[in-house]
Amino acid sequence: MRRRNFIKKTVLGSAAAISIPYILPAGRLFAQSGSKLADHVVFVAFAGGLRQQESVLQRYLEDSQQYPAAGNIMYNMFNGSPPDDKIVYGTTQVVQGDTPIPQILNQSFETQGTLFREVNSSFVGHYGGLNTLLTGNYLYSQGLRNKPSMPTIFEYLRRHTGEKATNCWYVGNGIGNSIPLLDYSTHAEYGSQFGANFLAPTITFGSDGEKHLKNAKIYHPEDELAPMYKMKYFLDNVWYSQGKTLPSIGNTEEEKAEIKQFIADMFVKKEAGTIAFPPAGGGDNATIGYACEVIKRFKPTLTVVYLSSVDTCHSNFSSYLRNIHASDHGTAHLWDFIQTQVPEMAGNTAMIIMPEHGRNDEANGIIDQNAFWAYDHSDANSRRIFGMMVGPNIDANLSVGSESNQIGDIVNVAPTIAEILGFKNDMLGSGLTASSQSLFDLI
Amino acid sequence: MKKLTNLLLCFSLVFSACKKEEEIIYDVNPVNTNSYNSGKDKLKSISQYISILYANLFQKALSANELVEISNCIMSIGDKEVANEIILSNFMNKTGVIMPSDSVMRADIDAFLEETYSRFFIRNISEAEREFFKNFLATNPDVSVEMVYTAFSLSNEYQFY
Repeated sequence: MRRRNFIKKTVLGSAAAISIPYILPAGRLFAQSGSKLADHVVFVAFAGGLRQQESVLQRYLEDSQQYPAAGNIMYNMFNGSPPDDKIVYGTTQVVQGDTPIPQILNQSFETQGTLFREVNSSFVGHYGGLNTLLTGNYLYSQGLRNKPSMPTIFEYLRRHTGEKATNCWYVGNGIGNSIPLLDYSTHAEYGSQFGANFLAPTITFGSDGEKHLKNAKIYHPEDELAPMYKMKYFLDNVWYSQGKTLPSIGNTEEEKAEIKQFIADMFVKKEAGTIAFPPAGGGDNATIGYACEVIKRFKPTLTVVYLSSVDTCHSNFSSYLRNIHASDHGTAHLWDFIQTQVPEMAGNTAMIIMPEHGRNDEANGIIDQNAFWAYDHSDANSRRIFGMMVGPNIDANLSVGSESNQIGDIVNVAPTIAEILGFKNDMLGSGLTASSQSLFDLI
Repeated sequence: MKKLTNLLLCFSLVFSACKKEEEIIYDVNPVNTNSYNSGKDKLKSISQYISILYANLFQKALSANELVEISNCIMSIGDKEVANEIILSNFMNKTGVIMPSDSVMRADIDAFLEETYSRFFIRNISEAEREFFKNFLATNPDVSVEMVYTAFSLSNEYQFY
């Protein structure tokens, strides 16, 4: 009898232990499930300040330079014929920009997904715009060179779904303009422990990285790393008793080892010329190549890619046109790469594309080598942008809004990502976002 | 007569009250009473961390160009622990790192630990710390000086000044 009782209790105990749910960092027992629209999101901040006139409105030189040459230089993004006069937006064969890059996608993003033709961006500065895209808040009082005061989309995702750090990546095209600071916020209820893994690959794998990162020793995980970490953790415990901690995004030892191995592997791939760069270079396409590698290696739940090469428009309109065209090519390559080279994410990934702000209606007086006027970003025209989303459960071939009917705002992007990944209610429950509406709610 | 008696009394009081103080020795060594953190409450900037680390390992200053390049590398990787670890292992791969040999460490572990705490943390080792490291090194005979230096360089205390 006692034996029977013992077996009964053991079985019950084991069953209870197995069924004890995992408690999420947010305090909930189970992650929200069943409402995901896709398992992965890639958000391309097609950024740096892009005018509606040269993008969705397809006016090429017509509005900006008063030259009668209209046409679509983003033909992976939008439907429409390219310009046939004054071709300066392509790669260079004889004259700079004389050769347009062949289209990658059989069907444009516009055909495959939903296009918001006229969206509002009230913040017309780079950091403020990107900050708003990632936090869903207009942080007007936020200074430069500061971490966001409101939680980023990475923190909402990790806190409310329990995602590990290497499932969240933020790939920037450099380390200027406060770009590296947007991997997590200083908000007391969120913060570094829910942050994303940031990478600025043009620095990490550029000349600085070649010199100071490439020749890293790869220590043996058990024989060398384990005792080193053991000593470090002892020292940290002693230090912790003094009440001092350092911000950490919470990569586990295994995740740290994966990242180090990834970095080492990228140097090898770079030397072998096998990085997944887009077929044509230019603009931010080096960053996009490494973003492809991050996606292939880690299959992140959320990847944010920040591009800003079009900001050359401050002083060089021709370069701006070339960079728009190259970034359209690069973004299409990223989508095509996911669909063809990453089977775990193919057909299961949504992509959102949106600039952080537009550019001025009035030129700034600077003229480039083609005698084209340059444009800054500060007037009302800078508040005009477009938005695109494509992927499973997203309407295809749908156009929302028009030049005279603005629908959508950059604060709607963070809730849109949350809705696709199934944690929108948790995010809105925090009460920290400016809008409760995603782009889906505006259709 | 009374005056003479008072005078004698004063003299005797003066001479009997003044006595040379004896030097008392308790046979206890002087102990520095600094706390663990030695007043470190400011986080080093990336460039401070790198330049101090380089000086600690190579016993010479890092050039301004290299300081900027290495700082850029660290800023380009979000997880600073990972970034610091890679930079440090690159340093360890270079010639010129000044550190004692493993046999010197093993020959006098007490002296090695005192020197290491002084070099990296600019403070004395506590007895608890000494006990931990002596046991750890005794039970891990393959732990090298490089591994100990790496642990100290990556520790949180080393990030403060």
